[in-house]
Amino acid sequence: MMLSRKSEGTMSQPVRLLLLKTFVRSFLLQTSWNFERLQNLGFLFMILPGLRIIYGSRIPEEVLERHKDYFNTHPYFAPMVAGATLRMEATLAAGEDPQVDISSFKKMVMAPFAAIGDSLFWGGVRPLAAIIALFMAAQGSLWAPLVFLALFNLPHLVCRGGGLLLGYFGGLRAIESIQKFHLPDLSVRCKEGSIILLGVMCAYLAHKGCNLQDIPSCWGFIILPVALLFARFARQGVSSMFLILVTTTSLLALALVF
Amino acid sequence: MSIVLVRVDSRLVHGQVLEAWVPSVKADCIVVANDGVASNSFQRTIMQAAVPSSIKLIIGTLQETSHILSSTDLLKKRVLLLFDNSNDALEARRLGVSYPKLNLGNMHSSAGTNRYSCTIALDQDDIHNLHQLEEQGVTIVAQCVPSDREQGWHKLVRTGSW
Amino acid sequence: MLWVDYVFTGTLAMLAGLDRVALLQFMISRPIVAAPLAGWVMGNPLVGLEVGALLELLWLGRLPVGASIPPDDTQVAIGATVLALSMDPLLGMNGMPVVILCLLTAIPLGKFGQLFDRLARHANGLLLKRNSALASGSPAQLERLHLLGLINFALASLATFAVILLVGTLFLYNFAPLLITAVREAGLSLQYSFTLVGAAVLLGLINVTRGTSLFCAAFVGTLLVLWLR
Repeated sequence: MMLSRKSEGTMSQPVRLLLLKTFVRSFLLQTSWNFERLQNLGFLFMILPGLRIIYGSRIPEEVLERHKDYFNTHPYFAPMVAGATLRMEATLAAGEDPQVDISSFKKMVMAPFAAIGDSLFWGGVRPLAAIIALFMAAQGSLWAPLVFLALFNLPHLVCRGGGLLLGYFGGLRAIESIQKFHLPDLSVRCKEGSIILLGVMCAYLAHKGCNLQDIPSCWGFIILPVALLFARFARQGVSSMFLILVTTTSLLALALVF
Repeated sequence: MSIVLVRVDSRLVHGQVLEAWVPSVKADCIVVANDGVASNSFQRTIMQAAVPSSIKLIIGTLQETSHILSSTDLLKKRVLLLFDNSNDALEARRLGVSYPKLNLGNMHSSAGTNRYSCTIALDQDDIHNLHQLEEQGVTIVAQCVPSDREQGWHKLVRTGSW
Repeated sequence: MLWVDYVFTGTLAMLAGLDRVALLQFMISRPIVAAPLAGWVMGNPLVGLEVGALLELLWLGRLPVGASIPPDDTQVAIGATVLALSMDPLLGMNGMPVVILCLLTAIPLGKFGQLFDRLARHANGLLLKRNSALASGSPAQLERLHLLGLINFALASLATFAVILLVGTLFLYNFAPLLITAVREAGLSLQYSFTLVGAAVLLGLINVTRGTSLFCAAFVGTLLVLWLR
């Protein structure tokens, strides 16, 4: 089976099938996550349909073997790695030289992509989307969960789908070009946005609290040092569970005493 | 220039370094001392793509490292120095990079290694290298992320593998 | 509470639990989504929204990275919603104080989620180790092996949900009538403390240079405008 470059432009039937199956299976990347090799079997699971299309029903043992190794990256960036890997496997199967050893390619990209994805999605997009949704939830709007899902999953799915296409059709060159998106800087912007919105949210709550107590809003400034103190605790590794339980218990005790 | 952290980490530039160590030690420059990466333009580009523009990333061979560290570019920088393995850490010292303390982060298992903690697996060469470093006056500690407890590496090795 | 409610919420608990790591990762596992869904299944999405909004920030800053496992806020969210909605038929109690009481009951039980999650991941490891298929199996065998992980993660989610529901119901059935007056007395301060602690923890964990100054500037600016307006 040939999956050569002439199939670009109009995608041939097997290529379309390969990409679709890989995309769907990328949602199951971490199903067998384990402490020994993390996502290794998940990655193999994701590219198996592609390998079957490339090699037919008898996939060479050494091909399977190299994809059983330790693997761990950000789940949303795994399709890009899978795309490029399948492109290289296809090149290799066609008897050409993929330029880079496939195993070392996976080892080279997994840690940087994990770092990019962790800070972009877990550190940047998710808090930002959640805080925007919380502003809506504060109004009692049931749109809040839907807005959160939309804001988060748009970049998520673009990353999975676009990454897969980029990796498969662009290969190593395209993966190198990820630098031009400046993703780490984008995550910094998202984080800054989240922090500003958090500040606004806390100020709004402080204001609302003062109104309910019939005291001027300037008393709300007391909240600021408390928030900074808690932030400091969190940075030193105090868990949120501990903080919330201690805070609420002391409030309950105060309420009972007075 | 001041070196704020020297770390052995087989994943080199990754989440633990960027999200946990860089803010904790307030580093604004990461120096990766590794011959393999320095000679591989693809890996260098990918590594650069993972680092925000507020942090300077320099990748060099072990031979170049002491030269890089003494360059005027880094005069006011707080540097985080990364090695891939214990051998590189020892070699760099021989080539004139001096540091008082070495942090062991991730050292992955392969044939011939014993696992000493969740993230550290050492073979006989590693242990030999670390002993030599220690004889040269380097304090060696194991600490994955800043919120973990710092542990002397002797304690780790004495408690045995798991 | 009808038994169908438990079946439906249990199914939701399982699906949302799988979304955390094993399947999809569309973030239906976040409290802000999972709790309103649980409420909707039981006919009152607004109570779920209240639970979700109070809970969302608390563990938002904990990154699901590598081998670190945060407490299971998904099951806490769904569990607290179900508990809150079952207090009305059970004890004739409803409203915000009940929501807060149920949350405070469910949150410590989220620790069990960490435990069960870790067990599921170890079970995955054992599956691969014990089964020589990883070394010599055919691709089809490997696929089956991989999918078996779904069962481990699903069981872990269900177990957490069951513990929160059982222990929570038992506890609340006996102690809610005692505690509810204190919660009513403390009133809004409790509700606000959730958001405050959540926001502060997130501020502490988000890695941005000058994050504290940004937060302070936004806080002071907004409060000044609201005060002097």
